[in-house]
Amino acid sequence: MLTLGPLAFATPWLLIALAGLPLLWWLLRAVPPAPRLVPFPAIRLLFGLDPTEETPHRTPWWLLLLRLILASLVIFALARPLLNPGNDLRGSGPLLLVVDDGWAAAKNWPVRQAAMTEAIDQADSAGKSVMILTTAPLATGEPLTAGRLMRAGEARRLIPGLAPKPWPVDRAAARQAIANVELAGAANILWLSDGIEDGSARQFAQKLQQLGATRILTDPPGELPVLLLPPEPEVDGLVARALRPDGSAARNFIVSASTEDGRQLAQETLRFAAGETVASVAISLPSELRNRITRLSVAGESTAAAIALVDERFRRRPVGLASSDTPDVDQPLLGDLYYLDRALGPFAEIRRGNIETLLDRELAVLILADIGTLTGAERDALEDWLDRGGVLVRFAGPRMAERDDDLLPVTLRRGGRTFGGIMSWEQPVGLAPFEARGPFAGLAIPDDVVVRRQVLAEPAPDIGSKTWARLSDGTPLVTADRRGAGWIILVHTTANTAWSNLSLSGLYVDMLRRIVILSQGVVGDDGGNALPPLSTLDGFGQLTEPASSVVAIPAGGYAQAAVGPRTPPGFYGTDTARRALNLGADIDQLTTIADLPAGIVTASYGATSLRDLKPWLLLAALALLLTDFLIGLYLRGLLPLPRAKHLAAGSIAILLLLPQPAPAQNADERAIAATRLTHLAYVITGDSRADEVSRSGLVGLSLALRSRTSVEPGPPIAVDIESDELAFFSLLYWPMIPAQPALSDTARKSLNAYLRNGGIILFDTLDQQFAGLNGIGPGTNTLRQLVAGLDLPPLVPVPPDHILTKAFYLLQEFPGRWSGGTLWVQQPDSRVNDGVSPVVIGGNDFAAAWASDEFGRPLFPVVPGGQRQREMALRFGINLVMYALTGNYKADQVHIPAILERLGQ
Amino acid sequence: MPASQTGHVATHANRQQQRAERLASALPPLLVAAERVAATVAQGVHGRRRVGQGETFWQFRRYEFGDTPQQIDWRRSARADQIFVRETEWEAAQSVWLWRDNSPSMHYQSDPALPTKQARADLLTVALMALLIRGGERIALLGDPATPATGRAALTRLATSLALEQPPPPGAGDIGIPPAMPLPRHATTVLVGDFLSPFEAIDSAIRNLAAQGVRGHILQVLDPAEATMPFTGRSHFLGLEAEGDLLVGRAQGLRQSYLDRLQEHQDRLHDLASVAGWSMATHHTDHPPQPALLALYVALADQPKF
Repeated sequence: MLTLGPLAFATPWLLIALAGLPLLWWLLRAVPPAPRLVPFPAIRLLFGLDPTEETPHRTPWWLLLLRLILASLVIFALARPLLNPGNDLRGSGPLLLVVDDGWAAAKNWPVRQAAMTEAIDQADSAGKSVMILTTAPLATGEPLTAGRLMRAGEARRLIPGLAPKPWPVDRAAARQAIANVELAGAANILWLSDGIEDGSARQFAQKLQQLGATRILTDPPGELPVLLLPPEPEVDGLVARALRPDGSAARNFIVSASTEDGRQLAQETLRFAAGETVASVAISLPSELRNRITRLSVAGESTAAAIALVDERFRRRPVGLASSDTPDVDQPLLGDLYYLDRALGPFAEIRRGNIETLLDRELAVLILADIGTLTGAERDALEDWLDRGGVLVRFAGPRMAERDDDLLPVTLRRGGRTFGGIMSWEQPVGLAPFEARGPFAGLAIPDDVVVRRQVLAEPAPDIGSKTWARLSDGTPLVTADRRGAGWIILVHTTANTAWSNLSLSGLYVDMLRRIVILSQGVVGDDGGNALPPLSTLDGFGQLTEPASSVVAIPAGGYAQAAVGPRTPPGFYGTDTARRALNLGADIDQLTTIADLPAGIVTASYGATSLRDLKPWLLLAALALLLTDFLIGLYLRGLLPLPRAKHLAAGSIAILLLLPQPAPAQNADERAIAATRLTHLAYVITGDSRADEVSRSGLVGLSLALRSRTSVEPGPPIAVDIESDELAFFSLLYWPMIPAQPALSDTARKSLNAYLRNGGIILFDTLDQQFAGLNGIGPGTNTLRQLVAGLDLPPLVPVPPDHILTKAFYLLQEFPGRWSGGTLWVQQPDSRVNDGVSPVVIGGNDFAAAWASDEFGRPLFPVVPGGQRQREMALRFGINLVMYALTGNYKADQVHIPAILERLGQ
Repeated sequence: MPASQTGHVATHANRQQQRAERLASALPPLLVAAERVAATVAQGVHGRRRVGQGETFWQFRRYEFGDTPQQIDWRRSARADQIFVRETEWEAAQSVWLWRDNSPSMHYQSDPALPTKQARADLLTVALMALLIRGGERIALLGDPATPATGRAALTRLATSLALEQPPPPGAGDIGIPPAMPLPRHATTVLVGDFLSPFEAIDSAIRNLAAQGVRGHILQVLDPAEATMPFTGRSHFLGLEAEGDLLVGRAQGLRQSYLDRLQEHQDRLHDLASVAGWSMATHHTDHPPQPALLALYVALADQPKF
């Protein structure tokens, strides 16, 4: 292997081929590209000319350069260049691979595995043996030992089997494990660290240095994992808290709360400010949803520390309700517990019963409403429960006012105080604002809450500190005292509406909620049973079946249980009452490994990753080859460089290929096509022969118009009378064939509008040859049926002085294919549309007389015949078009002699 | 003849006819376009002394020695002491013989947006025919056995004959030289082509015509690429008339000498034309046809009377 800085060649001898490049250069220069083929008529003038410049049949220098680069690229690629081939294992001894496989290594584990493989590859190529030491305690619970020396191939097979553990590394134990290892020669040590300080990293590194040159790989600061602490319950949700080892830059993480079956309930952004290693975010949820949360997780982190399992302690707390009266089914509103039940129901699990049965099960809060005295057994059970952290809430009432006991925060004065009683109140009293430090701080007090009766505490020096709420006259309403790990809370009025209307207000609910949150969660009986493992987290934060080596948490040992090989993080207990053991519970701060002894080489993962440049070089060579090919084509003139207009045409063609669903656009295009030029138009009859005659007739007429007059019509347009817009045409030719269908109402309307607004239709009945007997041919019959619904004016045969007889030519007869017949127009005295007739009706098959092919040769013989008849037919057509286009203009001209004569007078 | 062969010949004839019809379908557009061009030119010369049917009175002039008595206008002479001769304009309709180069080199366009030289030459020729027929001239095609004729029918026939004419294959010997045929004295000929053939061949053809007393006009139609030679780089030039080919390392290096040589060629053509008393003009296909036609038409009309 040949190494040049960060570049190395696996097969360097192939680079010898570079010596052949000058030869290639010479060859390429000698062989010019194929010339461009140019047809040129004036080539005779080129023969024998001497070119002024002589540069000849040589390849242009840039093409030469391109090809040389191409060849060099191929040679370099074949020499298999490697970028960042890594440092050589310089030490004489074996490779000691130290792998941190604690929870923090789960992040970027594939990168670590790649680094291991790379190191082993190097050891392999250097012929060194390998020893692997993992630093996290083994899952089996056995003490850590260094592996034996093995061949690289063997070590390589071990790597896929390594996995991060869901507990922290124990470098002190690892140091012990290598204390007695003897390695021949100076070992090459590569420590794949997880970057988290465990308190003994420095000593461990010093021990490593004694064995040989040590290189440590760490994650870049932004890549270090975060650790999710167990959440804290809040009034309306949870507070997720997290730690990170490196606090240099501000970073955001997404924390999501999900249910047992993996559905995500909420998502919040956890913001680490710059310089901070702790962050928290509140996850607000309605209590129903909140109770379904079983885990919090940090998105994008796949470590056991990025999962915080949530157990029943963060859920609906079981609240026990006990009262001395018997529930009255008929009058539930008067019961002691009715309002408590309604107020606690939404966020707590309510249990009822007497005190012993309630305390048999785990319980967070126990509410006693107006219980005067307790039996000895009840007292003992309660006291025991309070010591373990229970929250006892007592409401006053008539019974308590008579007899009380010492499970109260304050000593009560006998008899209480009643509105209108001994210590009479003027009027019921409202509540004073809550103190800022009490658990009720910040709750809003409704104005209408009044207390009519209460029990009173005996004055005592500490009564102020025990008071959580007062009436507006200063007497305590809620007092509380610690008892053991728990609380005793006394509300000095009843739980129902007997003494106060507090239980009717929302404040009552809020106060109870605060009290329930105050409780530590389940304070129950776990003392008797061990907690067997239910499911445990693996190193990547996946819940799995517990391994056989996992043991149950011994009875009463939950509080002391620490995460380790025997008790990995996970759920313990039974399905109905399970406890979460979280990695974060044991850790209260994270730091990075910073204090390393001198002489240790520090590097980052990934920075040394080997990269094979061969495929990239070959790809570049291929691209150059294609470029060379295109250039070759261009030089030969086979590749026309697209010009701007061609591009435009191409894009238009592409646009045309796209589906065009809009008929409106087609209608627009049709309208534009119809109005760009003057067009003659004919009505589609549905008979293709008749339509073809119409079309070629109008083609012939258009030709005549173009050659004889200033009218330059475009090609004739076929018009569908039922659907097409007629307004674009000044003249429609409409042959009457027997198969002509009747008009629809739409068509009739559009035809009437067309005729009313100045359009002209030439109805051709085509039946002059049948007119011998009674003058009625089949076309005439069709016409009669057709025009039944049209607004036609009274018609007369064309008078001798009609404009049609002089619009362009002077005519007195109007032959078509047949001659004779009568041409009908509107009565000339009409003033509508300047007296221009909207219809012209004849039967001489005009289109057949006009029809001509592209050469101007007539298509049909005229009867009786003769060029003159055809010419007259064409003249009639021209006159008709002039009439349609100019209206009565010529009629005015007719009067000029009379006008001039009048002016002369 | 075996039946199959008969069938083959029949099919062949049929195919030829189809081809002719297909080609002929291009005629009306050509005729119409040519007539449009002609009409604009006719507009342009409107008001000039335009001849009628050859009988139009032009002017009286004094009787000179040599005039025949038949020329004397007795009515005019009776009003004065002198004797006047009546002159009519274009009193004898000329026969104009047109020739349009149909060699393969004419079927060339350097850019698809340009017409081929052939198309432009056809357009100019037919338009000129239309103008001449309006002027009552008799026209014929050089190389066509038909005698000069006039009228619209003749125009259609000649235009059709032009449109139907097939380009000869390269190397068939047609290099764009006007054919030699006996023409009536004082006939006029109009030669339209690219005149890129060897000068000697053109020279002999023109001299041959001029020796018959024929007057003529040469219109050289060139593609802009021939006029400028815009090619660059290594180029392999191919002739269209099987003249051979030429491999050039740097085409731009040849440009100046090519242009010089083309100029020299054109100068020699001019000299040749003026020696023969002819006129010569050059037209590029990227220019509109009207000015060329106008120039040609004016040259025809202006030529001295016989």
